[in-house]
This record gives sequence, structure tokens and C-alpha cells, in this order.
Amino acid sequence: MTELPGTLQATFVPAEDAIAWWGVEQLTETVREHGLPEGRPGVCRLALPEAGRMTAASVPVLLAELDAALPALRALDPRATVGESVRVWRDAAELPEGDDEGYATLSTRMPAAAHAVLNSEGTAITAAPALLTQFRQAMTTRAALHRTAIQAELRPYQVHGVAWLSARPGLGHGGVLADEMGLGKTLQAICLLATRRSAEPHLVVCPTSLIGNWRRELARFSPATPTISYHGAGRQLPDAYQPGTVVITSYPVLRRDEPLMKTDWDVVVFDEAQQIKNPEALASRAASALSARSRIAMTGTPVENRLDELWSILNVTNPGLLGSRARFRQRFVAPIEQRRSATAAAALNAIVQPHLLRRTKAEVAAELPPKQYSTMVCTLTDEQARLYREAVDRAFSDGLGAGIERSGRVLALLTALKQICNHPAQFLRDGPAQPGRSGKFDRATEMLAEIVDENDRALVFTQYRAMGELLSGHLADSLGVGPIPFLHGGLSAAQRDRLVHAFQEDDDAPPVLLLSLRAAGFGLNLTRATHVMHYDRWWNPAVEEQATDRAHRLGQQRTLNVYTLVTGGTIEDHIAQMHDSKRGLAEIVSGDTEAALAKLSDDELHAVLDLDLGAFN
Amino acid sequence: MIPAEFGATPWGRAWVRTVASTASAGPNALLPKARSLARNHAVTVTADGGHLEADVVVSGVGNHVRIELPPWPAETQAEAKRLIAKAMADNSGLAPGDLPDTLDADFRHHGISVGIGLDDLVSECNCRSRRRPCVHVLATIYTLSQLVDERPELAIDLRMSPTELAPPPDPNWVPLTDVDPATFYGG
Repeated sequence: MTELPGTLQATFVPAEDAIAWWGVEQLTETVREHGLPEGRPGVCRLALPEAGRMTAASVPVLLAELDAALPALRALDPRATVGESVRVWRDAAELPEGDDEGYATLSTRMPAAAHAVLNSEGTAITAAPALLTQFRQAMTTRAALHRTAIQAELRPYQVHGVAWLSARPGLGHGGVLADEMGLGKTLQAICLLATRRSAEPHLVVCPTSLIGNWRRELARFSPATPTISYHGAGRQLPDAYQPGTVVITSYPVLRRDEPLMKTDWDVVVFDEAQQIKNPEALASRAASALSARSRIAMTGTPVENRLDELWSILNVTNPGLLGSRARFRQRFVAPIEQRRSATAAAALNAIVQPHLLRRTKAEVAAELPPKQYSTMVCTLTDEQARLYREAVDRAFSDGLGAGIERSGRVLALLTALKQICNHPAQFLRDGPAQPGRSGKFDRATEMLAEIVDENDRALVFTQYRAMGELLSGHLADSLGVGPIPFLHGGLSAAQRDRLVHAFQEDDDAPPVLLLSLRAAGFGLNLTRATHVMHYDRWWNPAVEEQATDRAHRLGQQRTLNVYTLVTGGTIEDHIAQMHDSKRGLAEIVSGDTEAALAKLSDDELHAVLDLDLGAFN
Repeated sequence: MIPAEFGATPWGRAWVRTVASTASAGPNALLPKARSLARNHAVTVTADGGHLEADVVVSGVGNHVRIELPPWPAETQAEAKRLIAKAMADNSGLAPGDLPDTLDADFRHHGISVGIGLDDLVSECNCRSRRRPCVHVLATIYTLSQLVDERPELAIDLRMSPTELAPPPDPNWVPLTDVDPATFYGG
């Protein structure tokens, strides 16, 4: 049992973006007594004196967010019986933002209790000046976020992420945001870009399949930020930019595009930075050659364990940090990989750690809801757009008829359009499905690769047997974890049981299970999955939720991430937006979507089906 | 190209040369054994003002090695510092703890040697072998060469003020050992 000092203590904890109150048995009562905000309960790793020496301890704390903690600290009664650490943080709360000297003086009189936040190894605490710097960065970031009117409630670890990102340009270099998938890297990056209303524009580079998603997320979280999509044959950069403009482009464009190279950028964000993991690749060279104040790489894969990739990505974001590639191999790769050198691993960690921010879902579990839903908007390929337009034009020029005939034809058209969105190979029956032909298919593959990399497990639902088989064949090749099983109505009950049992119990079973939405609605217990992907839409939220709940159970420790893939500008997108906004024709929103569509007039139907890339590109 | 296991950089190589010179008159059968010990983490090295100490565990038996590591004379230190400052200014983009390889040539040109030749090496080991240097001393030097490969600056540090093998502490962190429990909550 740890000895507590018996007086209230305060420590700023950057990762929680909060002041931690601790030090007394009756914590809640004491905090209340002093008129301080209770915040949320938690446990922090802090250094504590114990029997005359310092030890690392897990200390029960109350975490009060800065917005609430700082005014309360300022109002604290000067005669209150509280620890010296509380008093120094009260003084910090009163210092004006730019008072460098005041902060420097304060840092010299901070007792260790005020900055007792341990490093991950539990061997050192943050130095007082470093913690005060982080404190100031957190305050500046909060103020900037308030000013910018971000349309999202950020979780504390996300505010810390934005503060960390925002500090990079001032430090004269970039960094790597490597949070585990599902923790909201995109939102944090958007906050960074939106709060920097610089004269130079920002650039986001992402896989082609994600361009629409970036544009959508920017419009959603920061509608005031001007954005420009820069891809496709007719792409053009403007001569002048509004302050804080974000240009979104793709890695294929980046590889060989002169205007991008000739522009002076403020912040450049490389999303899915695995794309620059090979230093010889054209995209990596172009990424290094861009002129930018700060380069931020985002990746969900644990790059710190893949040294060559780590070098390549940091060579873009923090040139010179790891030295030349040959030297990096001599000093780190060979010692760590060939003889498991602890000194080399520790030295590398010490060099990289300040420039790489990675949180896992387990670390921030207390801040996460049990289920987290996200919609991934995917980009149509040119082939998909052509097939889609042709299918719509053909159906309307042939005529849809009336009555029962109309229902049948509308349903057939909807099926064709959904197949085209899934993958042209499903529509044209010219499988196996290759990458590069469907934005959704490519995006799903990328996401599943990331999930498998994390040693997580995923369920993928589709309503089409053919699509399940195409995915199964492709994923078996691209994920490298053996054949990917597909549970569908054609399997016997015993075969289905075996697949379920293997997924739940067998450590060697493939970490991805494909399921037909129809066959998997009931009774299956697949709670080992921490990710659920809806590859196509049933347009019946109840059915989808029932499928999702195969993986969810009450009291589950880890957050379940639920992804819905939607192809931007298509029927999938139109109906998803009607569902989300609860606007549009009542039956589309609440009842049998497909039957409702059959009842529309030609004009109404055309409006719903028509490819609307204008709203999207 | 896969880097050499011992002496991947010129800085570690300086120490590998010391061991290799034991084979100048004919093959030294102890060298493969010494490399194997170093490779298999049998050697734990510490530095302490003017000498290296190492524990070399072979088949569960510990052997204690001590190697004299005399600092450079003052004028050599001054010359080395001047050459280092110049080389560092000419080579930006070096990772922390690294030295430019061109500096190795500068040192040779000025007759400065970062390693210690076999003839000048003063070492002792508490093992009973009559062969000197024994396999434990050789394994210690191989291990030192690897530590130097990992952090070339160590090669210089050892000849300036050989007290620490670890890189200098990060100013943003205070080791727990440096925190005074008595004033933890305030003075």
C-alpha cells in the first residue's frame, strides 16, 4: 500500500489533458471542500516517496479538465490547507500566456509532487520546465480550439494529441501521430489544420480511396476551413489561397506533380503513411522534397517495431533525426534485430519517443464508449463512375414501367448500382477482384491490414454471397494470414459452428471472418472481434445493429469499432445521408428502403440514384 | 548490405582492430569463442573513471575483467575537441550520439587513436587461464566495440572522461534516483 501525504496534491497530466487531484484518502470530499472540480476518477502512474526512496506507483486520482480546473484554482482560498503542489499549479493558472520569465521562475520552485508524471518505463518523471511547456501548449491549444469552433467534442487524449501536433511546427520539425485505428487521428489532424490559419495553405496527402472521406470530415468538423480537392486529370491549384486553406491530394498525384512541389506549404499531413514506408519509392522522395514548415505522418500500424519503415517515415517528418539509412542500420537495425541489443533499443526509443505519439485503445479505454461508429466515405474509381452512369442511363432510357414490373426493375437497378459500388468484378462477374478498381474495396483492404497488424480481430458483413467470395479470395492474398473464411447460408450448421468456434477460441484461426448479413443475424457469438465492418448497406438499421451485436456484449472491456463503408456521391451515400439526417421520404428513412424507392416517380428516383460527384469531389 | 556484427562503424572498428591484432602471428582460437560470448549477452560492461569493468559469465561461472582506459593527455583532448567541432559543423543531419566517419580520418591524420593497441592494453581477469589476453578480456572488447557501434560518441567519451557508458540524460526527464524523497512534497 502506497503512503499518501495526507494533504491534497495537484499534478498536470498531459496525456489526460487534466489536472490530477490526489494525495488524500477522502479524495472526492476534500476536492469538494476546496471548491475544486471533481472531474472524472482515474488512476495515474506517479512517482511517490516510500520508506525513504522514490518508487513508481499507481495512484487513484480525480482528473479535472483544464477548462474547469484553472478558474477553480485561481479562486482557491490562499489560506486553504493544501499541498505545495496545488499552490504552484494555482500560480501557474494565474500566469499570463506569454510570461516566459514567470514560468521559468515557477519551474524552479515546483516540488517534485507537482510534476511526478512517470515515463512509460517508470524510471523518470517529467522535468518541471518540460511539464510547464506542455501545460502552456495545452492552454494555447484549448483557446485555439474554442476560437475555431470545431464541430466535435474532443476526448481528453485527443486534446492532448492536438496540443502535441500543434507544438511540432514551432519546434521546427514534424512528427508521427501513430494512434491505434479508431482513436480519431483524422479529427486530431483536422483540428491542427483548422487552428492554423496561416497564409500558406496546408496539404493533406492520402490514398485515393480516402480523398472523399477527408473532404467530408473537414466539412463536418470544421465547416469554416476552405478546402480544395486536387486530383484527377483536370486538377488545378489556385493562384492565391484564403488563410488556412487545406488542399487534399493523393499519393499517386504527389509522385509526379510540379505545382505541389512549387508551393510553400504550412503543414503537410501524410495520412496512411505506410505509403511512404519505402524510402526509394517516388512518393517518399516527393514527400521529402515538398517545401513545408512541418510534416506530420499519420499511421495506425505500430511502426516503432518495423525499423526500416520507421526510418523512412521519420526521414520525411524529421529529416536527419535518425541519420543516414546506412548508419541507422549499423547503429540500430543490426544490433536490435540481430542480437536484441537492449542498449540500442533504449537509445532508439529515447531518440524517437519525443517525435512519435501513439496511444492504444487499451490505454484510453476509460475515455471511450462501448461502441464507436464511423462512416468511411470511399472514392469511386473512374471505371466505377462510368459503369454507374451507364447503368442509370440504360435503366431510365429503357423505362422502368409501372406496378409490379416497376418494383422488379428498380430492385434490379439498385442491385446493379450496389454491386458497382462494391467492386466492378461483382457486377461484371469478371473476378477475381483486383485492387485499383474499387475505392471501397481498396479502403477495406487497407483497414483490415491495419487491424490484422494490431493483432485485432474483425467481422466483415456483406449482403452478397458473390462479394463475400471476392473479398475472401483477395484478402487471403493481401493479408498474408492464410485463407479468409466466409460464413454464408450455403454452409451446413456444423460448418458454421466450426467457423464460429475457431474465430472465438483458436489463436491460429484467421483474424478476419467474412459473414453474409442474412446468415449471421442470429445466435452467433463472435465477441472476440473488436472491429465490425459493414461492407455494403442493408438500409435497415435494425438488421445492421443486430449483426453488429454479434461482436458486442455488455461489460465488454474493449471498445467495439463499427465501420460503415459508403461510396461517396452514389445511392449508398444519398441514402446514408437521409438516414443520418432523418430527412427525406419517411419510408426511405424508417421502413423498407427498396420498396419505398420503387414507389417514387422517375424524376424523384433519378434524383436519388444520380451520381453526384459535384457534392463530393 | 548487412552491417558487420562487430565494427559496423569505424568507431567500433577501432576496438575490433585491437582484438584482431592478437591473430597477427597466427589464428587465435579464442576469437570465435569471444565473439560468441559477446553475441550471446554473456558480457556486462560498466565504466568507471579510467577503466572498464566487466562481468563475463561462461557456463554459469562469472569472471571479472578490468581494462585500463587511460584518458587522452590534455593536448590530445584539446586537439580532438577542435577536430570534432569542425567535423560536426560540416556534417548536419547526424542522429544524436553519432559522429561523422570523416572524423575518423581526421583523427588518424593527426595521430589520434580512439582505440588502444594490444601492446598498450593493460587488462586483468580473475580467471585461471594462462593465455593473456584471455577470452574474457577479448569478449569484453568485442562487446565494447558493439556499444561504440551503437553510439559512436562513446568512443570519444571513453578517452575524455570515461565514467559513463550511457548517453547523457534527457533534460526533459528527471531520473527517480535524482528525486529527493525528503523534499518531494515541498521544502
